[in-house]
Amino acid sequence: MAQDTVQKVLRLFREEAKDSALSRAEFERLKGRFLGRDGLVPGLFGRVRELAPAERGEFGRQANAAKTEIEAHIGRLGEELARREASERERTSAVDVTLPGRSPRGGGLHPITIVRRRIEEIFLRMGYSIADGPEVESDFHNFEALNFPPDHPARDSQDTLLLDRAAKSPLLLRTHTSPVQIREMRRHGAPLRIIVPGRVYRKDEVDATHSPVFHQVEGLVVDRGISMADLKGTVSTFLEELFGKGIRTRFIPTFFPFVEPGVDVAMTCIFCGGSGCPKCKGSGWIEIMGAGMVHPRVLQGVAIDPEEYTGFAFGLGMDRVAMLKYGFPDLRLLFEGDERFLRGFSEQA
Amino acid sequence: MKFSLEWLGDFVDVAAAGGAAGVRQLLDQAGIPIESVARSGEDSILDAEITPNRPDAMGHRGLAREIGAMSGTPARDLGDRYAEPPSQGDATEELTSIIIQVPRQCRRFGARLVRDVRDAQAPERVRARLAAVGGKSISAAVDATNYVLWDTSQPLHAFDFDRLAGGLLIVRRARRGERLVTLDGVERVLDPSDLVVADAERAVSLAGIMGGLDTAVTSSTRNVLLEAAWWDPVTIRRTARRLGMHTDASHRFERGADPDAIPAALNLAARLILESAGGVVAPGFLDAHGAAMRVRRTTLRLSRLRLLSGDSRIGLDFAEEALRRLGFASERKGKRLSVQIPLFRADARREDDLVEEVLRVWGYDRLPSRLPPATVPGSLREPLRAVEEKLTDRAAAAGFFETVSYPFVDRAADEGVWDEWLRATGTAPEPLGIENPLDATRRHLRATLLPGLLDSVSRNLRHGADGVSLFEVGRAFGAPGEPDRPESLESRRIAFATAGEMRGHWSTPERLRAADFFDAKGLVERLVEPWIAPEDLAWRPLRVGAFAPGAASAVDAPGGRLLGIVGLLSEEERRRRDMAVPVYAGELVLEALPSEPRPYRYREAPVHPAVVADLTFAQPRDLTWAAVTDFVRRRGVENLESLRFHDRYEDPRDPSGPVKATVRLVFRSPERTLEQQEVNEAVRRLAKEMEAELGVRV
Repeated sequence: MAQDTVQKVLRLFREEAKDSALSRAEFERLKGRFLGRDGLVPGLFGRVRELAPAERGEFGRQANAAKTEIEAHIGRLGEELARREASERERTSAVDVTLPGRSPRGGGLHPITIVRRRIEEIFLRMGYSIADGPEVESDFHNFEALNFPPDHPARDSQDTLLLDRAAKSPLLLRTHTSPVQIREMRRHGAPLRIIVPGRVYRKDEVDATHSPVFHQVEGLVVDRGISMADLKGTVSTFLEELFGKGIRTRFIPTFFPFVEPGVDVAMTCIFCGGSGCPKCKGSGWIEIMGAGMVHPRVLQGVAIDPEEYTGFAFGLGMDRVAMLKYGFPDLRLLFEGDERFLRGFSEQA
Repeated sequence: MKFSLEWLGDFVDVAAAGGAAGVRQLLDQAGIPIESVARSGEDSILDAEITPNRPDAMGHRGLAREIGAMSGTPARDLGDRYAEPPSQGDATEELTSIIIQVPRQCRRFGARLVRDVRDAQAPERVRARLAAVGGKSISAAVDATNYVLWDTSQPLHAFDFDRLAGGLLIVRRARRGERLVTLDGVERVLDPSDLVVADAERAVSLAGIMGGLDTAVTSSTRNVLLEAAWWDPVTIRRTARRLGMHTDASHRFERGADPDAIPAALNLAARLILESAGGVVAPGFLDAHGAAMRVRRTTLRLSRLRLLSGDSRIGLDFAEEALRRLGFASERKGKRLSVQIPLFRADARREDDLVEEVLRVWGYDRLPSRLPPATVPGSLREPLRAVEEKLTDRAAAAGFFETVSYPFVDRAADEGVWDEWLRATGTAPEPLGIENPLDATRRHLRATLLPGLLDSVSRNLRHGADGVSLFEVGRAFGAPGEPDRPESLESRRIAFATAGEMRGHWSTPERLRAADFFDAKGLVERLVEPWIAPEDLAWRPLRVGAFAPGAASAVDAPGGRLLGIVGLLSEEERRRRDMAVPVYAGELVLEALPSEPRPYRYREAPVHPAVVADLTFAQPRDLTWAAVTDFVRRRGVENLESLRFHDRYEDPRDPSGPVKATVRLVFRSPERTLEQQEVNEAVRRLAKEMEAELGVRV
C-alpha cells in the first residue's frame, strides 16, 4: 500500500516530465511540485512515521531510489534548459560581423620620414653614424669651407635665402646638408663615416618639381686609402638596397666645388628598366645623385691632412626618391598636409 | 647651351665619333651631359649642360676638344682660320691706342681695326650657324663678334671707331655716378667697383658685360674697332649681379676667359667682316697687357692617381696621353709627371684636378667598385634626434598624420596671436627675417610650428574632412642665440592639432565623437611618457591669444622647465581660419625633454589585496583636481596606494553651483591584508579634513 504511493509518485513524475522542452516556468513548477519543501518527494518521507516498523526499511529504500531518479532527471532537464536558454540568448544578441570594427584610429608617417628611415637603416648597417646640423647656417659652413669662394658662379646653382648679410659670416638658410660635413670633420676629425639627412632651402619658386624647402641626405667617408672605387661600391650598393636588386649605376664626371673628381650618378630608369621611356627622356637613365672625392682644400680647411686621408661624399634629394619610389607626380603634395595624400602612405590605408 | 654638330665638325671628325649619338656618349663621359638632340635640316643641335668650371667648353672649338680627347680622334687642321688676315695700310698701333689703368682686372686687351666697311649682312654660313645656336643676325660686324664667341668662347665687342672721342680706349674703373646707356637702351648708373672701357671723354662700354649704345656699330658705321679682352671674373660678376645683367659675355668672363684666345678671336672676326662687308684690315693688332698671367705647373704622382682612382691598371703612359689630348703638356719625371696647365683651363689647379682629367679620359665606368671595410657600428650623433624619432612614432600611433610645412611666416599676421607663447619660450622679440624672401608677405622664419600646421588643418576641413589630426616635427627659429653659433638660434619642436571627429565609430554617440581638451592633454601625456611620467607633468592655465580663455594650459617638465602648451582654439581664431569645428592644438619644446628616456624598471607585484573606497563630495567649481591631489599627498594617508578621479557631475540647471565629484581611493599594505574597518576609518578622517580645508561637502 505504502509502496504503491511511491510508485504512484514515480509514475506521476514520469508522466509530467515527459516533455523534455520545458519552459523555465514549467521547469520551476515541476521542480517545486516534486522536490520543493512541500513537494511530493519530501511528502513521501513524511509518511514513514505512519508505517509499521517492519515496512519502513523497504519503503525507505524505494522512496530513496525514486528521489534519486527524480533528482537526476530534473538535473538533466535543468542543464538542458540552461543550454537552450544560453543558445537563445546568444542567438538574439548576435552582431552583424560585417559592421566596422572599433580599432584605434590610424595615423601615419610622412613619406619623407619613410624614405629617410629606410636610407638611415641601410647606412647604419654599413657602419655609418647619423649626424645632424642647424638649418640656419653661416656662409662659412655652407659655402666658404666647401670651396665656394665669395662671388663664384658656382653659387648661382644654389640660390640662397639670406638672413643676415651683415653678420661676421653672413647668416643664411642652408642650401644643402653639406655644411654638416664641415661641422663633423671639425668636431671629430678622421676617420669619419656619416650620413646627414635634413631639410634644406633654396630660393626656388614653387612648382611641380621645385620647392623652396626640400630634403637631402648627404654621406661622407674619410679614412686612409679611400678611393673612387669605394665611392662606386657604396653608391651602387645603396641604390640597389633602396630601389631593388638589378638597379645598375652609371658614373660620369661633373663639377661640385667641394669634390675633386666630381661624379654624377645615374641609375637605370626604374619605370622602363633602362629601355627608354618618357620618364627618363628616352635615355634609360635617371640622374639620382651627386658625389665625388672630398676636395683636398676642404680637408685642409678642417685640419685633416689630404696626404694621409682621402674621402668621398655623396648627396641626393629625398623628395625626389619619394616621388620615384611611390610614383606621385607633384612635389607640392609633400608640403600641403593633405590627409588624403598622407593616408596614401599609411600602413592602415 | 646649344651647339651645332656641323660646326663641331670643323674641329673634329664627328662622323668618326659616331655622329650625334656617338658625340653625346663621348660628352657624357667627359662630364658634359647633352640634355637633348634636335634635328635641324642636315644638322643636329645638341643642348649641352656645361658646369661653371668649364668656360673653355662654352664654344665649339673647346667642346670639340673634349670630344677629340675622349675618342682619341686627332684634331683637324684648321688652316688659316685663326691666322692674321690679309691687311694693308697703316698699322693698328698707329691709328689707335689703349691705356690699361686696372692691370689686375684687365690682364690683356687686344684690338683690331677694320676700315671702310660697307653695310652688309654676314655670310650665309655664319648666319645659318648663329641661327642654329639660337642667335639673331644683325649685321656683318655684330654677327662676326657673336660667331667668334660661339666658335672660340672668347667674347668680342665691336665699336664704331669714328664715334670714339680721341680715337683711343682707356680701361678704368667707373667714376661714382657715371652714366652709360648700354646696348639694350638702359641707362646704367655706375660706381668705382665697375670696370668700363672709355674713350677720351666718357665710358663707352660696360667692360665684359655689354657695350654702350652711343658707340655701337650701325648701318652707317665705316670703321669698326674690334675688342677682345680678359676681365677679372669676380669684378665682372659683382657688377653684373649688382646691375641685374647677364649676357653671353658676362657668363664666360665670370667663369674665366682664355687670354691666349684673344689674337685668334680678333683674327677670325676680322676675316669674317672682310668676307662680307669688304673694307681693309689694318695690319697687326693692338696688344695691351695688364699684370701677367702666370702659367702654372703641377705635379701628378702615379701614387696619387692610383690612390684616388682605386685602379692599379692606370699608368703614367696613359695619363700623359690623356693630358696631351686635353691640351696639357707634361714631362715625365720618374713616377710623376710635371704638367703645364694651359691658360684656358683656369679650373685645373691642383694634382687632384689632373687626376680627374686623366680619369675622365679613362672613363669613370671602367673604375673598379668595392665597399670600404666596415669599422665601428653607426649611431645617432645628436641625442635629440632619438627624441624626435620616438615622438614621431608615438604621434603616428596615436592617430595623427605627419606633415611638413614651409617655415616662412608673416610675423604679425601669423604669429601675433601666439605672442604669449613666443614670449614664454624665450623666442627673441625680433624674428629672424629673410632679406630676399620669395614672398614679400612671408619674410620671417617661424618661431612656432602652430600657424603652418593650422593652415594644413583648415585646408583639410575645407576639402570636406569630418575630422583631421596632424603633427609636425621641425624647427622653430629666433631663439635668443648667438649668430656665431647658428644652431643656438633654433629650437626643435613637435606641434599637433586635431579637429572635429576623433572617435568616428558608429557605436559612439554623435556627441562623444569630437576631440576635446582631454584628448589633446592625453596626447601630450602619451607623447612624453617615455621621458616623463604623466603624474610628474605640471599643468597650469595659460592665456594665449589664439586659445579660448579657460581652455588652454601650459605644461611644465619636472624642475619647472616649460615643456609646452595645449589648448582649444578661440572662436575668433577659428573664424579667421574658416574652421567650423572645434580644434585643439599644442606644441612641445624638445629641448625641455631629457635626452635619455626613463629606464625600464622592475617593480614587484603586490602580494596583499587592495581595498577600494569611493568618496563622493560636492565641491566648489574653482577647486582644481590638482589642488585635491596635492592636499591628499601632503596629508600622507597611510597605506593609500592611489587616488583616481572617478566621476564628475555638473547640474545642468545650476551652471555656477557646486560640482559633484567622486574619487576612488585604493589602499594596500605591503605587509598584511587591510581590514575594511580601518580603511573606512581612514576615508572618514580624510573626508572630514577635506571638508574643513577644501570647502567640500561629503
